[in-house]
Amino acid sequence: MKRSITLIFFACCLLISPFASRAQEVTVTGKVTEKANGQPLPGVTVTVQGTSKATSTDAAGRYAITAAPGAKLEFRQLGMKPQIITVSGTTLDVSLTGDETSLNEIVVIGYGTQKKSVVTGAISSVKASDLENMPVTRIEQSLQGRTAGLTITGASGQPGSGATLRIRGTTTIGNSDALFIVDGVQVDGGIDYLSQSDIESIEVLKDAASASIYGARGGNGVVLVTTKKGKDTDGKIRVNYNGFVGTQAPDHKLKLLNAAQYATLYNEAAVAGSKAANPATAIRFPDPAALGEGTDWQSEVFNNSALWHNQELSFQGGSARSTYFSSLGYFDQEGIVASKNSRYKRFTARFNSQHKITDAITFGNNIGYTRINSIGVATNDEYGSPLVRAINMDPITPAVERDPAKFNAPPYSNFPVVRNSEGFPYGISPYAQSEILNPLGALAVAQGNNWSDKIVANLFLEVEPLKGLKLRSSGGVDLAFWGDQSFRPVFYLSPTTELKLNAYTRNMNRGLFWTQENTATYSGTIGDHHFQVLAGMSAQKNKGENLGGLKEGIPVNNLKDASLQFPVARLDNNFYGGEYLSTLSSLFGRVTYDFKERYLFTGVIRRDGSSRFGPNNKYGYFPSVSLGWVASKEAFFPENKVISLLKFRGSYGVTGNDRIGDFRYLSTVSGGRNYSVGTGLLPVLVNGVSPNALSNPDLKWEETTSTNIGLDAVLFNTFTFTADVFTKKTTDMLLDVRVPLYVGNNGPIGNIATLTNKGIEFEMGYSKTVGEVSFKANANATFIKNRIDFLGEDKEFLTGARITPQQLELTRTAVGHAIGSFYGYRSEGLFQNTADVANYKNAAGNPIQPDAKPGDIRFADLNGDGKINDADREFIGDPTPDFSYGLTLSAAWKGFDFLIFGQGVAGNQIFNGLRRFDLPSSNYTTEALGRWTGEGSTNSFPRLTTDDANQNFGRVSKMFIENGDYFRIKTVQLGYTIPKLMSKKAGLDKVRIYAMANNLLTLTRYNGYDPEIGGGSFGIDRGYYPQARTFFIGLNLGF
Amino acid sequence: MTFNKIKYAIAIVVIMQAGTSCKKDFLEVAPRGTALEGNFYKTDGEVYQGLIATYDVMQWGNSGGYTMKMPLLSAASDDCYAGGSSPSDQPNWVAFDNFKMDSRVGPQVGLWSKNFTGVYRANILLAKMELNTSLTPAFKTRVAAEAKFLRAYFYFDLVRFFGRVPLITKMLETSELYTQKQVDPALVYTQIEKDLREAFSALPASVAATEKGRISQGAAKALLGKVLLYSNENAKMTEAASLLKDVNSNYGYQLLPNFGDIFDPKNKFSAESILEIPHSNNAAWGDWGFINGGEGNVAPQFIGADSYSGPLYSNGWGFCPVTESLVDFMKNDPRFAFTIIDGKDLKSQGATYTARYQNTDYFIKKYAPLAAVRATSGTAELNWPINEIEIRLADTYLMEAEALVRAGGDQGRAQTLLDLVRARVGLTSVPATIDNIYNERRLELATEGHRFFDLVRTKKAAAALTGFAVGKSEHLPIPQDEIDLTKGGITQNPGYN
Repeated sequence: MKRSITLIFFACCLLISPFASRAQEVTVTGKVTEKANGQPLPGVTVTVQGTSKATSTDAAGRYAITAAPGAKLEFRQLGMKPQIITVSGTTLDVSLTGDETSLNEIVVIGYGTQKKSVVTGAISSVKASDLENMPVTRIEQSLQGRTAGLTITGASGQPGSGATLRIRGTTTIGNSDALFIVDGVQVDGGIDYLSQSDIESIEVLKDAASASIYGARGGNGVVLVTTKKGKDTDGKIRVNYNGFVGTQAPDHKLKLLNAAQYATLYNEAAVAGSKAANPATAIRFPDPAALGEGTDWQSEVFNNSALWHNQELSFQGGSARSTYFSSLGYFDQEGIVASKNSRYKRFTARFNSQHKITDAITFGNNIGYTRINSIGVATNDEYGSPLVRAINMDPITPAVERDPAKFNAPPYSNFPVVRNSEGFPYGISPYAQSEILNPLGALAVAQGNNWSDKIVANLFLEVEPLKGLKLRSSGGVDLAFWGDQSFRPVFYLSPTTELKLNAYTRNMNRGLFWTQENTATYSGTIGDHHFQVLAGMSAQKNKGENLGGLKEGIPVNNLKDASLQFPVARLDNNFYGGEYLSTLSSLFGRVTYDFKERYLFTGVIRRDGSSRFGPNNKYGYFPSVSLGWVASKEAFFPENKVISLLKFRGSYGVTGNDRIGDFRYLSTVSGGRNYSVGTGLLPVLVNGVSPNALSNPDLKWEETTSTNIGLDAVLFNTFTFTADVFTKKTTDMLLDVRVPLYVGNNGPIGNIATLTNKGIEFEMGYSKTVGEVSFKANANATFIKNRIDFLGEDKEFLTGARITPQQLELTRTAVGHAIGSFYGYRSEGLFQNTADVANYKNAAGNPIQPDAKPGDIRFADLNGDGKINDADREFIGDPTPDFSYGLTLSAAWKGFDFLIFGQGVAGNQIFNGLRRFDLPSSNYTTEALGRWTGEGSTNSFPRLTTDDANQNFGRVSKMFIENGDYFRIKTVQLGYTIPKLMSKKAGLDKVRIYAMANNLLTLTRYNGYDPEIGGGSFGIDRGYYPQARTFFIGLNLGF
Repeated sequence: MTFNKIKYAIAIVVIMQAGTSCKKDFLEVAPRGTALEGNFYKTDGEVYQGLIATYDVMQWGNSGGYTMKMPLLSAASDDCYAGGSSPSDQPNWVAFDNFKMDSRVGPQVGLWSKNFTGVYRANILLAKMELNTSLTPAFKTRVAAEAKFLRAYFYFDLVRFFGRVPLITKMLETSELYTQKQVDPALVYTQIEKDLREAFSALPASVAATEKGRISQGAAKALLGKVLLYSNENAKMTEAASLLKDVNSNYGYQLLPNFGDIFDPKNKFSAESILEIPHSNNAAWGDWGFINGGEGNVAPQFIGADSYSGPLYSNGWGFCPVTESLVDFMKNDPRFAFTIIDGKDLKSQGATYTARYQNTDYFIKKYAPLAAVRATSGTAELNWPINEIEIRLADTYLMEAEALVRAGGDQGRAQTLLDLVRARVGLTSVPATIDNIYNERRLELATEGHRFFDLVRTKKAAAALTGFAVGKSEHLPIPQDEIDLTKGGITQNPGYN
């Protein structure tokens, strides 16, 4: 009986079900694309409103769902404006538009992605559209001014040169470089190998809550770079071409003295400094006016039309199973200084692809290869850079000596002087001293180049054995080969700079950095509770070696013919090499949870073990927690038209900095502790060896603990606002440990010092479309204060930079001050007359500056001891900006698009060290024409004298410190896209032409070439290679 | 899930396991191409280099200020003044000369640092050798003995200069770096004696000419004899006498017939020399910032007459002018001419020089900068190839005589030893009383760096030295940084607070 009822029931079902569906519903199929580019949109959720029926689009954007005619289909995807369409047939194609103000975009976080609306950490994101067509040599430069919390300062304007990138301030007195992860692979040698059009997005993990998933490497912040992936194009190949060509020139030249002015001031200084009975005998140039303009050295080294071009070609496409993205790029930039010696060429190739082996198994790869060939000059160096030579060279000496009476006489006739292509010798100055010599001659003998071949590849396999569970295994390598060569022919440039035996040096390096990672991620939903659990393990090894050699006296006279293969005497041979190795082994986990996307929680923990840490601290634990509350999703939050989103975030976490060098915990031994053994006047010297310092088995990472409180808001649906307040405290920074002398050896390196960064940052966005005009604005601002808290029991400061051959102390890293603050004398105007000098006296009635004369600088006697010495110095400036900001405005109307982007800093100072004041023969800027020449003439520029007994120019003082604030119109771009109807006729999907200007205008009070001075001499202008002003035209094609 | 999926899932898990398998030793990597404390001292050759580095410290004269013992101790004694260009030339020497040292002024930093560096290098050598079974046994025995000798040598200077010092005979653990405490000098003496007793049996009776500069058994016994004498315990005098007798009788040492030959730089490691510290100019050194990196003796440069121009000598810096007291004391002694340069004689030979601070026109002759040996490469001032003789036979004769008298031992032998020293320079016998022996020490060993400690150990310093405060001036102050770094764990010597 029971059985027959079941049968009947089953039969009924069979009969009724198809019948019922045939009667009421139809199967609707279609394709969902993105309106902006026509690309298919996979993963769009399609639901029948009022039912539980739902599906999602496949990789080609296609879907199929059954619905009754008249039912409403809802299409939803993160980052897109949802659409609701009434079913009226069996096919329904939909195109979705980007939801630009929403926080629904996807953000890449370490080992995964997250919806921006549920992010609880402080993460800034830059998308491909913000980067496209921006002319930068290196990707990191494109982040400048784009996001809050990031300070980027170009290391120089030389093509290919890096930038000083600091995420939320300088985190350590050691290595503050951020961690770069490209498609999951750590890349340490700089990300200049990436071609711009290959980038999909860049995320900057700023607080510990987001960076702690990178544990001991996350302390300086993390930059995640994701390259482009292919999209399902139904098998069609999409080709894109981007190219631009530009011409670069220096923003401005300095106003230097011409030959006549130089001679006048030279005479004046010589007479003033003369000790002779008749000082007039010190006059060197009896008729300065006759010397006229003389040589403009700046024009000799600058190139006003340096070329820059960039070509990028990409192919992408695929099917539901496989997608690919391939690209080729070529980049060539000449420098504006000494273009022949300053150039950067780069070839890039990329192949990214993903394949679905089965529905549950995905395999993919991201492979990039780059070849770079470059040549460079010294960029911020008071000794040998072309600019410092151009600035300081006397304008009397000709660039090229064409006067036979001169070039047939010494020194031209009796030394191997350097000649130009016409055979005339470069002028040799009888006045200039030391390293200051004819820059053209010096450039001609500086022959050499650098090259690198780099492959960064990542392969992964992802399996989804159960719904919601993803197992992923990935392996990545960064394999690089790089080297350089230089040749110096026999030359005579000046009495102090000559080479009697030519020298050829060649270095080869190989580095391999591999990473292997396995992760398991489970995402689930229980009612309104959404959670994701991640667990993973990672191992990586970084190893490399170098080999180099030098041969002197090889039988050639130029780089092209130079080879290490030439046999030379053994003494003129030198070779050397080195190697490095480090390993990292890690476990990590993360839990993210939200309730109705209203209450948010993320917890992270990572354990890192590193070969760099001492045996007593082999493993470090780096936890973080972060919480979020989306107030606007609360039931009690009033319905309103003003605030569409209001979210509060808070986080706390610990990260580390493992950039502490390899094997520093070990004690190395060195020789040279010699002793004479044997008899007689010449016993045998035996090499003695002993440890250099104690080992430190406790040595570990530097640790950064940070707290972040943030707010995200969307107002009027058009205006986004984000604010964050943070504190980062870095402890355990490495310093030499001082041990008692009874220990008998130097102390080890230890985890000692402490510093704090505090800051506030804002990001704002606005977008509005009125009729056919769409308008967008983005702005960001960051305030940061950096302060040293502790440098060890025995230290109040560390000396940082020094300047000139006298090695004058210029910066100090001192407790209570920012890293690398300027330290020097306080100049208080000039003594106007002898009474001024005499009246500046101490308690004993003696002059405080006994060597001073009218026109000399009055220095403040800060400690009141009645004399001026080292103890009268104070902090006179800080090279790190307190405030940095960026602003982007863009607009589009019909086919036209316009963009203007500016960026600036404030609150920093620059040390202007352009003039070699230790050399009396150095040229001056025209500022020196306003020097002190008599009572009341000026109170700022001191008198000129060669003896400088008062050390006006021989002391680091406030006189050399200048305001470093600037605002720069970084990029202005105007583009025009030809209407699709027209381009279609030519078989093209997209044709856009554009014109662009880079560094169009810089507003600053700084007197040097460029106020943006990054790199090793941060904020110190030793003859900084300025950034160029460039004008470009470009073309984008797509078909 | 299909069968295929399961297969792939298993594959993934296997890959994941592969990742973990190398976990532990994955982090245990060692640097290559770098010699480390941990992997050095493995072979005979490496251990020998470690030994040489320990010997090296003996010849240091500049480890935180100039500290050449011979001229410095002469300046501290009544043989010489400090001198130099002015009192501010070497304030540390002037302060030692007139006993106005404090925790920051005086030669303490250099001497403390030098000798503890020596102790450290000896300690690490001993510690590393102890665990090493692959060394040639005979080599290991000898090097261990030398290391112990050197440790004793450095501690003997430390205990004499500073009294209470930390006694460190092993490698310090990280946790122990700041926690060392000073110990009673008697404990230091006990350790020195122990080291020397363990050393001398394993040292060679004689050292080949090609190995001169390394320690012999005679030197170790002589030093132990000297140490026992300095202990000032009468109970130890008999052993001191017998050790010194052994040195004086059984090792072939001989008094040179001509007193003047002893300090002729050509006579390195002469028959009279027992403990000699070599110096040479073959490092051709020129680094003023790291004088210890060279092998030269800076002392001759210090004591030479300033801006000297004339025959025989080279110019010096005018330190350690000889006191009128010593001139007076020696004026009728035949050794005067070999001990003191009389400025009047120089001038009569047509030489000129500049009088400097505390000039007496008398200069030390025993280590004078002879033009004939002046270095021709490197910086000559730093490369004087003039050895320091720390113990010589006349000294051990007098020490044995002293020990015999103080122990009430063989007075006849004491007399013979004293007579031998005097007879060499043509002087007749005087009774071997303790005072006569002390007088003879001053005459025979003047300006060789013995006088100051002789005065201190015989408690005659206060009478002989202006400014000497009993209970204080016997020792140097402890370097202030040492007290600060240990947060007071190391305490200042009495009288210097």
